[in-house]
Amino acid sequence: MKVRTEILASGFGGQGVVRLGQIIGEAAVKEGYRVTMLKSHGTEMRGGYVRSQVVISKEPIDSPIVENPDIFAALSLAAYNSFKHLVTRGIILYDPAFVVEIDDTLTCRQKPVPAKDLSVQNFGRPVFANTIMLGAISRHLDVLNRDTVLESILHVIPKFHEENKRAFEIGYSLFNGKG
Amino acid sequence: MKRYLETGNFAITEGAILAGCRFFAGYPITPATEIAEAMSRRLPQVGGIYLQGEDECAALHLCIGASLGGYKAMTATSGPGYILYADPYGWAIGCEIPLVILNSGRVGPVSGITGAPGQGEFYLTRYPTQGGNYETIVLAPNSAQEAMAITVEAFYLSERFRTPVTVLADQLITDGFEDISVPENEDEMKDMGFRIWPRKINRGPNFYPPTDEIDIPPVVLGHNTGALCSDWTPTEEGYDIEEVEAHHKHAHRLIYKIRNHRELFSHLHEKKFMDDDPDLIVVSYGTPSRVVNTAVARARQEGLKVGALRLINLWPFPDEHFQKRNKYLVVELNWDGQLVREVQRAAGKDSEVHFTGCCGELPTVNDLIEIFEKILKGQPLARKGWQLEEW
Repeated sequence: MKVRTEILASGFGGQGVVRLGQIIGEAAVKEGYRVTMLKSHGTEMRGGYVRSQVVISKEPIDSPIVENPDIFAALSLAAYNSFKHLVTRGIILYDPAFVVEIDDTLTCRQKPVPAKDLSVQNFGRPVFANTIMLGAISRHLDVLNRDTVLESILHVIPKFHEENKRAFEIGYSLFNGKG
Repeated sequence: MKRYLETGNFAITEGAILAGCRFFAGYPITPATEIAEAMSRRLPQVGGIYLQGEDECAALHLCIGASLGGYKAMTATSGPGYILYADPYGWAIGCEIPLVILNSGRVGPVSGITGAPGQGEFYLTRYPTQGGNYETIVLAPNSAQEAMAITVEAFYLSERFRTPVTVLADQLITDGFEDISVPENEDEMKDMGFRIWPRKINRGPNFYPPTDEIDIPPVVLGHNTGALCSDWTPTEEGYDIEEVEAHHKHAHRLIYKIRNHRELFSHLHEKKFMDDDPDLIVVSYGTPSRVVNTAVARARQEGLKVGALRLINLWPFPDEHFQKRNKYLVVELNWDGQLVREVQRAAGKDSEVHFTGCCGELPTVNDLIEIFEKILKGQPLARKGWQLEEW
């Protein structure tokens, strides 16, 4: 395993960006890693900008800043445009319901994860988009076992276990392999 | 030992409880609200008391009352609340009342940016109240795990010195999540280096001796003992007085009980790559030091002879680290440069002291390495940095 794995998630308040980072972080703690997860946000509970920066390492972590994410989950156009240039070797997973304009000049891999639409289609409402995105992230994350991530989802989100399991599966099976 | 993915706010709360804190009064403010929230849940579980003040000033007054009643007491806030402590902070210093105060720095001035880190209170924590004639103790952790240990240490020092101790953290520490280990028994606490000093009771007759002595039990009321704890100068016997000679004695005690016991702070720093007399010493405290550590390690790989000095004990200021003529770079989470002024004073005119600051987010590793290179080549720091003399 390489020294550190960096995950960046950003969008606006209410989308579960902090939850998402927390779930990945908790899964990493369960697997015995050292973890940092920074959250930055505006004053608003909903609607403001939010960013989670997760660093996972076998060693103690000095800088908790994500400077070159292995995975960047972009959940708003503003977030996509703010942080897309950080991604050089990693991958951008974006929700096309919000990220409506893709920068073709980027050299990194970019994959759409229509989490919001899939949540509405499958569950009649958008609240499971976050778990769908987590499924997609988990597929691309070498360091964590998918079952540990799922376990953390069910621990951090105490309600709707069946729906969350299904949503995770939907996100996970969008892609073949780590691609 | 239990492991969690939790915030610094959680770690600080658990640290306080391990240190024997049984009273907390606060007023909610981002990014320290979760300490009040956690205390309101945790304190009743361990026989403690939680109160919410009508504002921060009231909260610290409540803590003073609790401490005088024999409790180890704490409050927590951010910059806009810390400034409201000015009145009770001075009272606690003057009457030598042990307290622990957590300040999680966000972006200022005034309300600034709530959910982003800043280091705007370096000097405010040195002078948290008016009047002068005192020294303060301020400790700055750089991670959630360390914030737990430093909170425990703050209680230890506050009891031994009979004075309020400020723990100066920032939003990234208190709001950020990390893997955190919480000790579950005394052996595990010892393994983690936690020192505990029990609350003792001063039974007189010398409540405020005119010496620099420490380890004098604090004044506690309601145990068939006590002393007058007013906002005037206390006499040795615990009465109040408005008189020059008594004031002189007391002021010297407030200053020198701390300045003359620096050995109790001298271990509170961290050095990396400092053994081979580096060409540039990067000085920081709090979360920027984590980026500095990464940047210095990487700069070393690139052949730059750079070292990192992190201050954990900010006040009384550890002049001893700056006795040697050297090049220093001070990295802070503010644009105005605060720590840099103190480093410049301590390092003296023969040293070269540079500053780079930002606020609201940490500097990046790449930015720092670029600045190291420029300083080592003698090039001016454009954009983000400046030399103090140039202003």
